[in-house]
Amino acid sequence: MSAIPEHEIESGVQRHARHQGMEAGGVLDQVERGFAGNPKAMQYFYDLFRDVYCEGVKPHPDKQTIGTMCVQIPDEIIHAAGGVPVRMCNGFYTDEELGSEFMPAKSCSLVKASLGMLKSQTNPYSAGIQTIVNPTTCDQKKKAAGMMREMGYDVYDMELPPVKESEEGREYWRRSVRKFTQHIGKLTGKKVTRRNLKQTIQQVGRAQLAYHRLNELRKHTPIPILGKDIFMVTNAYFFDDLARWTRATEALCAEIEARVAQGYNAAGRRSPRIVFTGSPPVFPNLKLPLMIEQADGVIVADETCSSNRLLNDMVSVDEWFMYDMVDAVADRYLKSCTCPIFTMNDDRIRRLIELYRTFNADGIIYQAFAGCSVYEMEQRSVAKAMEKEGIPMLYIETDYSPSHAGQLSTRVEAFIESLKSRRRQML
Amino acid sequence: MNVKATIDRIDVRRFRFWFQLFAFAFLVYGGWLAVDLGNSLPTFACGYNRKGTAGVCYLLPLQHQLAQPWSQLFSKEGLAVLGGFALFLLWFLVLNKAWCGFICPLGTLQDWITGLRKRFGLRYSSYSDEQFAKLTWIKYGLLLVVIFVPLLIGGHFLTHDWGTAYCQLCPARMIIPLFNGDFSQWKIDFSSTGRMVLTALGMFIAGLFLAGSFLKKRFFCFFCPMSAFHYIFAKLSLFKLKKEGSKCTVCGDCYRVCDLQIKPIADDVISQDILKDDCILCMKCVAACPEQGALRVDILGKTVFESTKDGFAKRMGMEDKQ
Repeated sequence: MSAIPEHEIESGVQRHARHQGMEAGGVLDQVERGFAGNPKAMQYFYDLFRDVYCEGVKPHPDKQTIGTMCVQIPDEIIHAAGGVPVRMCNGFYTDEELGSEFMPAKSCSLVKASLGMLKSQTNPYSAGIQTIVNPTTCDQKKKAAGMMREMGYDVYDMELPPVKESEEGREYWRRSVRKFTQHIGKLTGKKVTRRNLKQTIQQVGRAQLAYHRLNELRKHTPIPILGKDIFMVTNAYFFDDLARWTRATEALCAEIEARVAQGYNAAGRRSPRIVFTGSPPVFPNLKLPLMIEQADGVIVADETCSSNRLLNDMVSVDEWFMYDMVDAVADRYLKSCTCPIFTMNDDRIRRLIELYRTFNADGIIYQAFAGCSVYEMEQRSVAKAMEKEGIPMLYIETDYSPSHAGQLSTRVEAFIESLKSRRRQML
Repeated sequence: MNVKATIDRIDVRRFRFWFQLFAFAFLVYGGWLAVDLGNSLPTFACGYNRKGTAGVCYLLPLQHQLAQPWSQLFSKEGLAVLGGFALFLLWFLVLNKAWCGFICPLGTLQDWITGLRKRFGLRYSSYSDEQFAKLTWIKYGLLLVVIFVPLLIGGHFLTHDWGTAYCQLCPARMIIPLFNGDFSQWKIDFSSTGRMVLTALGMFIAGLFLAGSFLKKRFFCFFCPMSAFHYIFAKLSLFKLKKEGSKCTVCGDCYRVCDLQIKPIADDVISQDILKDDCILCMKCVAACPEQGALRVDILGKTVFESTKDGFAKRMGMEDKQ
């Protein structure tokens, strides 16, 4: 009788890590192999995600990484202090399950998943993070701060006003950013100076320019690049090295420009053009974007904080001194922000209409995570405004769970078919 | 690259600096070269700078003309007032408020004082919303002084000691002649009560001008009656500042660089003609706007300068940053 081989029973943590790898790998396979004609320059991004999520490569092993919870945390200032901002908004279903112990059942998948990731510490993405900067955006993020503290993280509450139009709100936020600038310098041991802040404002600006150049190309008909690839690019901005990301994106732009010159079509012959908005798709939760493009739709523009809102608005400095640069950075993150936590959402509606028009779209798909109450609440006013404009919109309430994919894809397919027949009637 | 794209990438700051320097020298010293642009200029080419000035600010002759006895003013002779005004309007309509942002010597001087503040690395001050709302009426008050004090003199309600009352208050009278070595305006005139009050106030305002413009960008322009006078006719001008609200993300970049703190430039997404009463048409807002075509300057309906992503990135030094 042969000896029983050495066998170790997998621990819960190991199992969690393995499931995570499987989840990421599964989505990456879909993104990479589920569609024909991926741009060659996209390989950089596919590999980046595979390295971090499947191979366990820790990003920025030799730098101090600072976790950020929302789009309003100023990257320029963290970079200037010698840190690397890494966005902690997480898209893993496996983490969401873990994180659900912290939050009520009917709360946002993204917040639960972020807490799960921070709790499990199996995700190489967040490994080494000790400090988390948490802006006072939605209630769930606010309350999550206490739970992160309980887990042992150093949480910095960055106060964001609930009104962005008033001078009082602007001044309040400027003070928050000034205070943060002081704080971050102490944390990293490198003071934010005039010279390095100017440099990082320009570096982040350059990255934004690369994004804008890419985004502009999506205005073309036929569409030269699929939306799922754009989400991969912008999601990579969450954690990638700034200069490397910029170079990779610029290389992608060059390739897509060549495609435009050839009249290349990345989608189907009659694929309806979609503007995506609402709760942010964060890798690997690309469920809805992938579903749209698998159903012969194509995402040509988006209005989400994991993509367009992250990179759209740029810092404008009048006097290149600390006093004006820090305020300029603060202004960038407040006034133009279309986050639904603010009292008014006129800017978001105007933006959607403008995107619909300039990107020559056929319809809008609005994703709200079940429990993401602010996006759920804005649905009514957005739907009303779109109806008034005669813009077709599909509202989808969903979460990270893969369970109701069948039902969801039926709705998406029906919407896309209706857009196709609408276009035929208009011709 | 075509001409338009090149213009849209222009470094407005540098262009303005040199243009303003030239305009300053021309208006303040042009008189020595026998340049005379007449006395209906819609800008502070101060008439008290007797030898140097290349023309005269319209507010000076206007106050003289309005101070005629009413019997003259409201007769055929009064038509001369309209002649001067027509010329003023003609000058103004060509450039609109760009007279303020590019030509006014007092405006240029304030920009130089701002430059001095920057040398010290000191922060600029700004008004709160409430302060802005209150102070913005002062320029209209001063415009009333320009028009009604002379009328009261003509009607014999005031003596000629109150003549050219606004000029006595205006910092240009005291400061511009200094550039030709003329310090004669720096005195309090005790010859009569009216003169004494006006010149003392004038002295105070000149001091305020120097201190204020060190702390606040374009401090005096906010109170300038010429600016208020301009605004009455601004809609008629061929030179326009336009906004395309649908392209605006209300990011506020334009507002944050505005020397005059004009908030509607960012917040108003309805108006096409976005020029406001405090505007000096310096075009800093257009240069600071990162949205393609959201802000633009039109002359005779033709776009001469427009906000572009490209131009924005160039001016912010983002383009070649590794």
